[in-house]
Amino acid sequence: MLQLRPPRPSMSSGRWPGAAGPPLLAEIYTPAMEDGWPTTAVRTPAAPRLSLADFATMAITFFSLGVTLQVVLIDAGASPTRAFIASSVIFSATSEFAYLAVRDSGGSDWAAIAAGWVVATRFGILAVSLSPKLPEGFLRRAAAAVNAFDPNVAVAVQQPDPKSVEREFWRTTAGMMIGWFAGIAVGTFLGNVLGDTGRWGLDAVFPAAMLAIIGNLLRRRDGLITGLAGGLICLTLLPFAPAGLPIILSVLGVAAGLFFVRSEVGST
Amino acid sequence: MTTVAIIVMTIGAWGQRLAGAFLVGPLLERRPVLARAAGLIPAAVVMAVIVSLTLLKGGDLVIDERLAGLGVAALLVWRRAPFIVVVVAAAVVTAGLRALL
Repeated sequence: MLQLRPPRPSMSSGRWPGAAGPPLLAEIYTPAMEDGWPTTAVRTPAAPRLSLADFATMAITFFSLGVTLQVVLIDAGASPTRAFIASSVIFSATSEFAYLAVRDSGGSDWAAIAAGWVVATRFGILAVSLSPKLPEGFLRRAAAAVNAFDPNVAVAVQQPDPKSVEREFWRTTAGMMIGWFAGIAVGTFLGNVLGDTGRWGLDAVFPAAMLAIIGNLLRRRDGLITGLAGGLICLTLLPFAPAGLPIILSVLGVAAGLFFVRSEVGST
Repeated sequence: MTTVAIIVMTIGAWGQRLAGAFLVGPLLERRPVLARAAGLIPAAVVMAVIVSLTLLKGGDLVIDERLAGLGVAALLVWRRAPFIVVVVAAAVVTAGLRALL
């Protein structure tokens, strides 16, 4: 519809981009968010399959994110056991960071939890695009849905038939989960050793990771406008609004993106 | 992180995925505008978390080395650098500036 790039050669060559190098979360996020989303996903001529190298890079990526999250959580005052349990069950590192950001600026527990919920909408949206492509069956769809993350959904929705969607989804998930649980285990021990996370620049890791995750959305003009509006709403409210509210109200940035889409459609 | 926070956020992350799979999906299919709005939500809220994590320190707005790290990350994401490169570069730039300044 608007300003959408055609799939890059690496995607249409039948191999997942990770085959040529480390996986590009920003890039594989594309299919779930491309034109016509979420009712129709982009079909590449040959669906990407996860090679062994992709599997390893996926695991390493999530390993490093897991380590970082644990170190930052423990540095922020969580006990190692608590931090480990939180990252094992919550299944949304973004929510944990939103929670930390709100608590750090003096917000109440419930304000922080609310911010975590708003941020977790992203996963609900990913489940929306994944679910109809899976084989029928409540349990298998439910099991896949609770494991929906950006990279595994992006790989899965490109597969040509429900069986391959399910197979590639779980293969990608396995790579992520092995890396993630190894990462949070190691990070839980390192959290006690490393001490000051700032000295290692670890406090800059998650903002950068999140930017990469929404990178392709920001390449679309409506996505960029929404992102800038959301960031601006947050920035404007931060100095005086109760902690948590800036993140929650940033959702309103979507209105700016929608307004842009409408005017774009009208003008062309 | 309190126990209540762990439990309620777990319900949030799991529940919203299940709701997306079984309730919201069919609704969005009938309302294209809602589908488009839903697709844009991550851009807004994730950006708000990025802003909070980059500029907040103990409740105050602060411009420090983290912003430089994010700037480098933005450049690399725009240039389609691999995920790992983006993350490592942001950490290195931030830590490097802290060591120098």
